[in-house]
Amino acid sequence: MKTGIFNKSTSRFFLQAIIVFAVFMSLLLLWEAISFFGILNPSLISRPSEIFLDMWKLFLKRSPAAQSVLLVHIYSSLYRLFLAFSLAAGVGISLGILMGYSQRIRWFLEPLITLAMPVPGIAWAPIFMIWFGFGDPTIISVGALAAFFPIVYNTTTGVRSIEKEFIWAARSMGADRKTIFFKVLLPSSAPYIFTGFKLGLARGWRTIIAVEMIAASLWGLGFMIFDARDYLRPSIIYGGIIILAVVYLFIEGLVKLVERRTIAKWGMVRPEAM
Amino acid sequence: MDFKVRLSRFLRFLFPLAVCLAVWELLAFFDILNPNLVSSPSRIIWKMYELVFPNPILLVYLGRSLYRLALGYALGAVFGISLGILMGMNRYLYWIASPVLSLLISIPTIAWVPLFLFTVGIGDETILLAIFLGCFFAIVYNTMNGIRSIKKELIWASQIMGADRKIIFLEVLLPGASVSIITGLRLAVGYSWRALVGAEMLASISGGIGRMIYAARAFNDVNTMFTGLIIIAVGGLLIDHLVLGWLEKKTIEKWGMVKKRE
Repeated sequence: MKTGIFNKSTSRFFLQAIIVFAVFMSLLLLWEAISFFGILNPSLISRPSEIFLDMWKLFLKRSPAAQSVLLVHIYSSLYRLFLAFSLAAGVGISLGILMGYSQRIRWFLEPLITLAMPVPGIAWAPIFMIWFGFGDPTIISVGALAAFFPIVYNTTTGVRSIEKEFIWAARSMGADRKTIFFKVLLPSSAPYIFTGFKLGLARGWRTIIAVEMIAASLWGLGFMIFDARDYLRPSIIYGGIIILAVVYLFIEGLVKLVERRTIAKWGMVRPEAM
Repeated sequence: MDFKVRLSRFLRFLFPLAVCLAVWELLAFFDILNPNLVSSPSRIIWKMYELVFPNPILLVYLGRSLYRLALGYALGAVFGISLGILMGMNRYLYWIASPVLSLLISIPTIAWVPLFLFTVGIGDETILLAIFLGCFFAIVYNTMNGIRSIKKELIWASQIMGADRKIIFLEVLLPGASVSIITGLRLAVGYSWRALVGAEMLASISGGIGRMIYAARAFNDVNTMFTGLIIIAVGGLLIDHLVLGWLEKKTIEKWGMVKKRE
């Protein structure tokens, strides 16, 4: 397949990357120049250089536990995402498999899920705050709830999409229930489960950032952004938004890597909607 | 579809809900669950009644929320579809704008709200901007992909047959991209609904469903919160099924571009 490092598509890719970089840089320069000449109100719209400097200062600033403040913010959000996602994946996959297996369970749970799925995660936050108070328990459980629905939905679809013939074939070759489950059901619903993971990760991340803003918790990127508003520090808001984007692109890259290593290797990638 | 089939399907949908509500009510009735924390269906229904009679505050809030949603969504749809078409038709614009778009698309909408609170101030403008951003990206992205997915051969064929640019645009590009555009519009309803609730919590000064849920926390008023949640759930479902299902049926199903839904 490979004809060299610089085949046509890679050179095009590099060309595009250079153009994009140039466009980004010139936009930043333009922004900087306009603010430099005082056309934009500096208390509303910060300069790129100022944003960068303030982020750097926040990086150097030490928390009471002598860690970098910026890194602790990022770490707290990621930690919450990790816990929420693990919880959602555990419950979501088990329930999804049950719903895929048993018509009765599906019949009972499907209406409940259909109704609860479109509710935005953040709408649950005030109720969870009454139950669990401020801080981590609320943020993590609301994040887990938000991530749960896409996972359970896609797992069910995955288990149901298996062709009956596969199971019959395995059975006629003498496979017992355990073997059928691990060697037929799980692998063939894996792509769907993975789609659910991706959607759940995105939903969980969004919800956690949002809940961090209202269930004040001292740490977390959402809290950092919302808190900066009180101190009239737009540069931290801009910087926080950029960091949010970068962190999420990083997570997405990680997911793609895992996908390449597992599902793509087994040759089971599903075509994707958005 | 036969009316009887529809009714039985609807009842089958409602049955699990009814069972859950009954169990919930019983648990609350026998004080197994603390009613101050989890409330009970009868209390929630009573609260709903109180919120509508004699003073229809719930309806006023719902009206305000729906107005914001409609305005923000309409803005997002108009600008999103136009930009999406431009990006789909012009290669250079696509090259420049698509990386910026993919960076911006990954930012949670709610993260913009503190910035808008700063720049345009607390109130409806911030909420509108949040809804706009929430649905804008999904619409641009899907419109662009729709236009770009049209086969070159179709355009060449119509050019050979003497179609001018206007006809190609109206009779080839737009119908060809319509499935994708409507997918985007459909996704965007969910996104803008979400943005509405989040932004109202942080930025509303004149009520709204999201604000109602958030404000009820100060009084530990669980009933009002559940009322809000139910309205958000049912509202989202109704908008998706009635409005967009209807739109889909009138356009792309009629043109035979997707299979009819079961």
